[in-house]
Amino acid sequence: MKNFPKKIDLHMHGVFSDGTDTPAELLRHIKETGITLFALTDHDTAAGCAEVRRLLRYGDPDFLSGVEFSCKDGQGQYHILGYGFDEDAPAMREIFEKGHGYRVSKLRRRLDFLKETFGFSFSDEDVASLYAENNPGKPHIAKLMVRYGYAESISDAICRYINQFHTKSEYILPEEAISAILASGGIPVLAHPSFGRGDEIILGEQMEGRLRRLIGFGLQGVEAFYSGFSAKLQNEMLGFADRYGLYVTAGSDYHGTNKLVRLGDTNLPDGGNYPAGLCRFLSELSDRGKIRC
Amino acid sequence: MMNEVQTTITNEEVRIALSGRIDSNNAHAVEEEVLAAVAGREKLPVRIDAEKLEYISSAGLRVILHLKKSAPDLCITNVNSEVYEILDMTGFTQMMTVEKAYRVVSVEGCEEIGRGANGTIYRIDKDNVVKVYNNADALADIQHEREVARIALVLGIPTAISYDVVRVGNSYGSVFELLNASCFSKILAEHPERMDWCVKEYTEMLKKIHGTLVPEGKLPDMKQTALGWAKFMKDYLPKEEGDKLVSLIEAVPHDDHMIHGDYHTKNLELQGDEVLLIDMDTLAVGHPIFEFASIYNSFIGYSEYDHETVKRFQGFDFETAKTFWNKVLAAYLGTNDEKKLREVENKARVIGYARMIRRSIRRHGLETEAGKAEIDLWTGELIDLLHSTDSLLFLRNEMEIEAKSERLPEVLSFIEQHLEACACPAKLRMQIAIAAEEIFVNIANYAYAPKVGKATVRVEISEDPIRVTLIFVDNGKPFDPTKKNDPDISLPAEERDIGGLGIFMTKKIMDDVIYEYADGKNILTLKKEL
Repeated sequence: MKNFPKKIDLHMHGVFSDGTDTPAELLRHIKETGITLFALTDHDTAAGCAEVRRLLRYGDPDFLSGVEFSCKDGQGQYHILGYGFDEDAPAMREIFEKGHGYRVSKLRRRLDFLKETFGFSFSDEDVASLYAENNPGKPHIAKLMVRYGYAESISDAICRYINQFHTKSEYILPEEAISAILASGGIPVLAHPSFGRGDEIILGEQMEGRLRRLIGFGLQGVEAFYSGFSAKLQNEMLGFADRYGLYVTAGSDYHGTNKLVRLGDTNLPDGGNYPAGLCRFLSELSDRGKIRC
Repeated sequence: MMNEVQTTITNEEVRIALSGRIDSNNAHAVEEEVLAAVAGREKLPVRIDAEKLEYISSAGLRVILHLKKSAPDLCITNVNSEVYEILDMTGFTQMMTVEKAYRVVSVEGCEEIGRGANGTIYRIDKDNVVKVYNNADALADIQHEREVARIALVLGIPTAISYDVVRVGNSYGSVFELLNASCFSKILAEHPERMDWCVKEYTEMLKKIHGTLVPEGKLPDMKQTALGWAKFMKDYLPKEEGDKLVSLIEAVPHDDHMIHGDYHTKNLELQGDEVLLIDMDTLAVGHPIFEFASIYNSFIGYSEYDHETVKRFQGFDFETAKTFWNKVLAAYLGTNDEKKLREVENKARVIGYARMIRRSIRRHGLETEAGKAEIDLWTGELIDLLHSTDSLLFLRNEMEIEAKSERLPEVLSFIEQHLEACACPAKLRMQIAIAAEEIFVNIANYAYAPKVGKATVRVEISEDPIRVTLIFVDNGKPFDPTKKNDPDISLPAEERDIGGLGIFMTKKIMDDVIYEYADGKNILTLKKEL
């Protein structure tokens, strides 16, 4: 019997994507919350992971490098988490660059749209800092708009203006993300499965069909414990994990002050007495030398 | 303040009205607002009013889940069917109270056809009525009434069951189908010549209710409720009288038969030629004396100080109400003996006054002159009655019961109570019980076979000489048991006919066994002098 970490949270974002915590702040919050194993899972980048790793000292909580890819194909949208991969593996570097390229191109088109349609423009310095962001998304532009007085609030900026921009975006395909994670020695896990891209509700047969397709691509786990899941959603997902022999993970999707999700809020009872799928996940990572337990 | 969130804070709750769509675009801002609204108000229950909420995405669900974590007793009301479906699919309806939006019904200009302790009944169209609850937060009451009405219906009590819950003004209503019905109060007020018919139907229904055995735990125990009144009254009565009131109620044995609890003539409806009970929320189990306490109050008690009360409430005058009460009491007890009627009435008044005084005090009756005068009048009567009352129990002379052999113990205990009251010797009691058993089981097995019907058992005790008369009545196949040949008891056992022995024993035990067939009824009278 392994000695599993007593409190875990494997899904959170920092300033390298759309979260607000710097790596140092994140580490401080993790320690305050009493989490003993955590993973940083920024969108389409692992840049924050290297930073966090540099800050870790003896006695700090266990850390697992992670990432969350926003994927899309003809069948829908998916968020795919990767854990324990080699951050410098060529497959990873390639996909990070691809994702970043998509985002930068989208940012450029968004800024053009805002200028043409509403006449909103920003100083060269602010635009440059947007491009310098690892993953500039809607909230980054929205924040700037609030600062310039173009919108009353972040949500106002997004709803009234930014969302008016409709374009065919380029996305990473789920099979690309899954293959890259596997090729770099990581474990691919479907984030908040019942919520799809985060804003849908997918259940029952539809969910099962989705999972089977992704398992076909090499998916190995599901985030069955998630801050936004009711017991019913959680149980459905645990049932799928059992049926298909999938790993189980637990994550809050903490975004700092950009979302009100609390760190460690995963609906997974603390203490280390975890469902089989999660125990297998942790044991596997421990066997690969990624975490200690 | 965002358009999607409107927060209202009262002393009772934090009400958060959500509107429009809650999705990933605004979920964050909505969440900030709702969490700010509940912050520091952890003691207040939180209610989301979803009347104007059109859509909720998973991001919105997460807002609700987080709110639930900081407000564990969160409930969501007025949910439209699309949103309800999402909440139901994702298991949120099992995590918290989620109430659907209700159809809105107006009762403006509608005829009031009934009024009870907890609500008023209006006719909304020719086929439907709505009961509007007094209590604004009535959903639990509605649920309770639906449940007890269903229990009653299953047990054979004719009643209307609500098929829909609607919003009426600031309260809720339950809708019933009630075609062209009119309540007994209206019949009594408009057709005084139908008094005796009303008495007969009203009493028959009452006996039917009281003859209905309720499975344990299905309905509240009226004795416990009455004990609550009595204990309340101890503060307003001299010590000795207060103690006596409590001990009188404590001495009433537990009884698993049904009582209606608010059985007045506005709660009895004639629909076509069928009599229906409505307003079932007070349904309970208990000794019939508790029922009579409430009936006494409805017709007389509440109007003792101001005779106009009954007119305002029932639509007929105090004299009519008194006459009706007396006739019902006589019909129910199966006697016209004035002494017996007043005796039972006084027992009913003991509980009735306790209830009325408590009710009036709780409604600030002591703060007005008229209220005080009324309470003084009732308290004076109650103290007098407590001096002259030693038991709240009474005996009916007649019981109506399903003719099934399982019900035999109730029949025997009914007869036994009368025999005990006239100090009948033990040996005779046993013999009479054997005879009664033979006759009742005979009716149960043969009168309606293969169906089940009713039997009426009547006990009369005359004094000087003390004579017990038992009368069994059924509507089954004509059958004269006295005509059956006596078995030849001189024959050895193996040669005897099976059957016939029961009636033979009955004839042996009793002084007289008389059979009559009249009005489609078998009437068997057994007499025994003590």
